Amino acid sequence: MSKGANLLWAVVAALFIVFMLSPIVLLVMFSFTSRTLTNFPIDGLSFRWWQEMVVTRQFWPSFANSLIIGFCVAVVSGVVGTLAAMGLAAMPKRHASVIMALLTLPVMLPPLVLGVALLSFYVSVDLKLGLPTVILSHVLFAQPFVILVVHARMVNFDPRVVESARDLGATPLQAFLTVTLPIIRPVVIGAALIAMALSIDDFIITFFTIGTGNTLPTLVWGMIRTGLTPTVNAIGTLILLLTIGSTVVALWLTRYRG
Amino acid sequence: MENRLTAYWLAAPSALIFVVLFIAPMAFFVVLSFWQVDYFVLTPAATLANYRDVFVNYWHVMAFTVALATATAVVTTLAGFVFSFLARFRAGKWAQALLFIVLITLFGGYLMKIYAWKTILGNEGVLNTALIAMGFISTPITTLLYSPQAVVITLVHFSLPFAVLPIYASMRGVTDIEVEAARDLGAGRWATLATVIVPRCQAGIVAGFSFVFLITAGDYVTPLLVGGKQTMIGNLIAPQFGAQFNWPLGAAMSLVMLLVAVAVIFVFRTLVAWWSRP
Repeated sequence: MSKGANLLWAVVAALFIVFMLSPIVLLVMFSFTSRTLTNFPIDGLSFRWWQEMVVTRQFWPSFANSLIIGFCVAVVSGVVGTLAAMGLAAMPKRHASVIMALLTLPVMLPPLVLGVALLSFYVSVDLKLGLPTVILSHVLFAQPFVILVVHARMVNFDPRVVESARDLGATPLQAFLTVTLPIIRPVVIGAALIAMALSIDDFIITFFTIGTGNTLPTLVWGMIRTGLTPTVNAIGTLILLLTIGSTVVALWLTRYRG
Repeated sequence: MENRLTAYWLAAPSALIFVVLFIAPMAFFVVLSFWQVDYFVLTPAATLANYRDVFVNYWHVMAFTVALATATAVVTTLAGFVFSFLARFRAGKWAQALLFIVLITLFGGYLMKIYAWKTILGNEGVLNTALIAMGFISTPITTLLYSPQAVVITLVHFSLPFAVLPIYASMRGVTDIEVEAARDLGAGRWATLATVIVPRCQAGIVAGFSFVFLITAGDYVTPLLVGGKQTMIGNLIAPQFGAQFNWPLGAAMSLVMLLVAVAVIFVFRTLVAWWSRP
C-alpha cells in the first residue's frame, strides 16, 4: 500500500466517524448550553436545561413508563428468546433457518406499518391500549434480536457438558440451571439489554399502541412539534444514555460483533 | 426423538407471539384494506375503492416516496459497502472500533438523530451558525433544511448501520487468499473489486439495500421534521389512523407501499445478480 492511499483511507474513515457521531455529540453538547437556542456560539456551560427537564410536565411519568416498558420487554423477550434460541440450536439447520427468517419478518417491516397494523388489531379484539399493549408490541420486534445473539452463542456450545451432567443424574432442569445457564448467562443478559435499548428507543410503534400516556420518545415528539428548546436535548441525552449505555454493556457482555 | 420434540417446544412461546401478534394482525390488516368507513364507523365490505383511491389520487406521492427511498437506499448501500471494505481490508486493528461505532448507533436514538439533524441544518442551526462564525458565509444557507436533500441526509444517517452490518458480515467471508489469487492472475484493483468482492457480497448487498429501502419508504417522521412541502406516503398513512380516521384507506396505502417495495427490491436483486454473473 502506498502512503497516499493509506492517507486517503484514513480521511474516509474520519469522514464516516464524523458523519455518524457528530449529530449525537452535538445533541449531547447542546443540552449543556447556557443559551436558549441550540446553535453556536456556546457562551457557557450550564445545567439549566437539565433542571428544566425535571420540572417538565409529564417528564417523570414518561420516564417511569419508559423504564417499566423497557424492563418488561427485556425480561419477556430475554426469556422467550433464549428458549427459542436453545430450541433452534437443537433443531436440524434447515428448520432453524426457516423459523429464524420467519421470526425476523417483523423487523423487516417499516415500524409505521407494524404500528398501525397492531393498533387496528388491538382495537378490533377489544384490547385496551396501554402499557401492556406497548410491551407486547415491543416483544414482537425485540425477540428476533435476542434469538440472533443467543443463538450465535448456542451454536458454539458444547452439548457434551450437558450430556455429562445428565449422565451423572441431573434432571433436565437441573442440568439447565447448573450447567447451561451459568455458561450462557452473560450473553442472555446482554441480549436482554439490547431488547431494552430497542424498546426504550422506539417511538413509532409506541405512539400508535400506547393510547394515552407517554414514554420519553413520545414526550419528546410533542415537544419538538411545539418548538425547539435545549430541554429536548437534555431528554434526548437521557434517552441516548439509556439506550447506547445498555448497548455498550451488552456488546461487552456478549462480545457480539454482527 | 425426545430431544427433537423438546427443541420445537422451546421455540413455541416465540412462535406463539409471532403468530398472535404478527400473522393475525397482518391478516386482519389485509382484510381491513377491503373495508370502508361509513359515517365514522368501520364497516366490513369487499370493496376495491381504497386501492383505486391509492392509484388514482395518491400515485404521485407513491412515486415520490419510491424515488426518495431508492436514492437513499442506493447512497446508503454504496456508503455501507465502502465502510465495510474499509473495515475489512484497510483498517487493520481499527476494524473492531469502526464496527463498534456502527453497532452503538444501530440500537439508539431514532427520534433523537432526526431531531439532531433538524437543529444542525436549520437557518439558525449548528451548521449555518458555525459557518458564519468562521467567516465562510455571511448569510445562512436557507436550502439546507425542509428539502428532499435534508430527508435523504437524515435517512442515510440513521439507516447506515442497517446497510453496514449485512454487507460487512458477507465481506468477512471473502478471504485474503481469494483477493490475492485474483491479483496474481493479473486483475487490477478495480477488476478485483468488481469481479471478486462484489459478487461474493451479493447476499449482504441485497439484504442491506432491502433493509434501508423498507425503513425509509415507510418513514414518516423524517419528512415531517426535516422535509419540505412534498410528503412521503407515510405522512398520508399515519393520519388515517389518527385524525382522518380512515383505517381501510391507510391499510390499502400501507400494503401497496409494501408491494412496491418488494418489487423494487426484486429489481435490485436481479441487477446485482446480473452484475455478478460468472
